[in-house]
Order: sequence, then C-alpha cells, then structure tokens
Amino acid sequence: MAQAIDLFTAASTEGAWTVGEVTRRARAVIEAGLPPLWIRGEIAGFKAWRSGHWYFSLRDKSAQIRCVMFAKQNYMLPVPVDGMQVFVFARPSVYEEKGDFQLTIMELLSTDKDGLWKLAFEKAKASLMKDGLLDPARKRRLPPFPRRIAVVTSPDGAVLRDIQSVVGRRWPVAELIVVPAQVQGAKAEASVCSALNRIRRLPVDVLIVGRGGGSIEDLWAFNSERVARAIAAMPMPVISAIGHETDVTLCDLVADFRAPTPSAAAEAATPDRTEVLTHCGVLGQRLVRGLRLASRHVVERLNRTGDRLTRSMDHRLEKSRALLTAHSARLDALSPLRVLGRGYAVARDADGNVLKRVAQLPSGKEFRLRVTDGEVDGRVQ
Amino acid sequence: MAEFSKQLERLEAIVRKLEGEDLDLDEALKLFEEGVERLRVAREQLAQAELKVKKVLEIESSGSPADQ
Repeated sequence: MAQAIDLFTAASTEGAWTVGEVTRRARAVIEAGLPPLWIRGEIAGFKAWRSGHWYFSLRDKSAQIRCVMFAKQNYMLPVPVDGMQVFVFARPSVYEEKGDFQLTIMELLSTDKDGLWKLAFEKAKASLMKDGLLDPARKRRLPPFPRRIAVVTSPDGAVLRDIQSVVGRRWPVAELIVVPAQVQGAKAEASVCSALNRIRRLPVDVLIVGRGGGSIEDLWAFNSERVARAIAAMPMPVISAIGHETDVTLCDLVADFRAPTPSAAAEAATPDRTEVLTHCGVLGQRLVRGLRLASRHVVERLNRTGDRLTRSMDHRLEKSRALLTAHSARLDALSPLRVLGRGYAVARDADGNVLKRVAQLPSGKEFRLRVTDGEVDGRVQ
Repeated sequence: MAEFSKQLERLEAIVRKLEGEDLDLDEALKLFEEGVERLRVAREQLAQAELKVKKVLEIESSGSPADQ
C-alpha cells in the first residue's frame, strides 16, 4: 500500500501558502502600496445596517469596489442614495474574513456643493412641510412677560453666558431654567431630544434652543428631522438661535421665532423691566387723572342738579307770591273794617262779645261801639 | 408671569374705563382702589432684583427642576 502523499507536509512553508497567509500578505501589500487616497465614483447598492455602518459599492463605467463606512465616521452625515456622485477619502484594504478587496471610507463628500446635506435637508423639509409643521399660521406669539424661560444648550458655552446676561439685565424677574445638552457630536441628536422631552413637562413660558456658529456638520443635530419634530411638538413657544444668521436649520424653520444670535433670542424672549416700570408709572398717573376726571363729572352733575333745584324753587316762590297777593286782595275785600267804612258799627260788651240781638242789650247795659275810625262807649237807655 | 400679564391688562382696562365713561363717584372710587392695588402688586412682581438660574440635571426626571 503506497503511502499517501501528505500534500500539506510536502507543500511546506516554501511550497504552498494558507488562505490566511495570502490574504494577510495581500492586505499588507495593498495597504503599503495604496495609502489612503481620494477616489471619485458613483454609489451603488447602498445599505445602512442597524449597527449604523454603511455598506455600498463605488463604481464607474469599468469597475467597482466594495466599501464600508463605519458609524463612527458617518454619524454626522446625511444618508446618501444610489446613483449619487461622490468623493471619498478611503483606505484600500483586504477584508480577510471574506477575501474582499474593499475601501474603508473615512470621508464622503457629494460632488455637488453640500449636495448630501442639501439632499437630506430638502427631504426632511418636505416631510415637515407635508405635515404642516412649517405653516406660518402655526407660529405662536411669544409671551410678553415670561416667568420661566428654559434654555437648551451646551452648559458651559458662550451661548448660555450671553443669554443669562441679557435676561439678567432686561428681565431679572424671570427664572432661567437651563437644561444642558450636547449640541455637537454623535450623541447630540439624542441629547437635545431628551432635553426637550424634560422641558415638555415643566411649567415653562418660553424656550430658547441655542447653539453657537459652526460648520454645517457641527449644526447637524439641528438639521435632524427628529429634533425638528420634537421642537414643533413643544407645548410652549420656541425661539431658535442656532449657528450664524446665514445657516438656516430645520429647527429654525419649525421654531416660533428665529433669532440671529443667542443674545437676540434672549431679547426676543423678554421685555425690558425699566420700560415696564415706566409703563406702570404712566398707568398710575392715568389712574389718578381718571379718578379726578370721574369726580369732576360727578361734581358737574351735582351743579347741574343744584341749578335746576334753585330754578324750580324760584318758580314755586314766584307762584306762591302771586297766590299770596290774590289771597290778600280777597281777604281785604272781606275785612270788617271795610264794612265799617260803609257806615256800619259793631257793639261789644266789656268782654269783647259782639252784641247782635235785643236780648243782649237790656236797659242800662254798657257797651263799646266800634266805628270806622275808632271806638266810643255807650249805655242802653 | 401669566399673572403679571393679567394684572397689567386689568389695570389698563380700569384706566380706560375711568377715563372714558361717565361713572358714579362710588363706582369710580371702587375702580380706582382696585387699580391702585393692582399697580402695587404689579410693581411688587417687578421687584425681584436678581435672575434666578436653575439647572435641570440629567438624572432629574420627576418633572420639577432641581437646584444645582
């Protein structure tokens, strides 16, 4: 029985390589010969895995290369679509487990200026618009005298300092509720959403969402549709102050008021206490003047009433006087003195009783006789 | 400060009424007294000298802000 040739032994280290050895070697050769470089191509077969890693091919008319872009490189990027022309900065290598020649992508740019961002922005904007979240009629009026102002921003940035100083100067009556959030980096989206969620339950009159200027990548969290929807759903009016005035983010579009800077946001959120105090002073003066005016009305009315009273009294007096004259004329006509004047006389006894009958005048009775110009004594014969 | 807003609105309404309407002295006095009181409360509400700043911490989840 012939002894089987042990090919593995025969093909010793010099004769045959293992798969692992070849792929390792290939990888070393490729990585040494092709250092990271910029490559231009078209995206095909794009797939984002749950892990956040992206897999796709980069191709042109004649060839294609498998590509991977890990989550830690792509987290700030909008998702590209198949057919998009891109530049990538990538490290060519061999994925040993599969023996695939592939590119590990470190950066990905659309060939259009901001193409990727613009695409993602427009897509999200269209979606927000479809749900009516960009409707100008949705914009709420900012409260004129806020008691509690919430701020979502980086806890130790210039944004918070600016807002605090403006609110402290203009409206120290308020309470500033700071909810710190990561405004940049992989966790920014989740962090801002969780901050918003916490504020939702607080009795807050107005909310400022702030972020200093930065590149479009830095502002990424504020272009996230998720954050924009969270802002649109806040129960209180929201002021956005994100990036520079020229960078309009989705959050700016859904906010009730867009401020160009954090300081401007703080000014928009607050009245000026000095002005409010002046207004109070004016109201106080008007109050006093109002009362004076009201009492003047009353005094004038009283005067008018008094005049009428006097006038009516005068009238009545006049009438009484006329009546009195008439009565005295009649009285005069009836006066017994007038009868005496016509030649009659009245006889009275010592007690003043009028003696009208013969029986009252027995012989010897003394009486007084009243004639028109005086009295005389007499006796019955 | 919803209360402040209401306070000021009522105050403005009182002033307008005092200025504009032919009122009984009694009614005018009542309005004046209410106005003075509301003005006093409003001024009191404006008196807080320093901004209060509170930080809501990450662990906070009960719904009321905690002092830092």
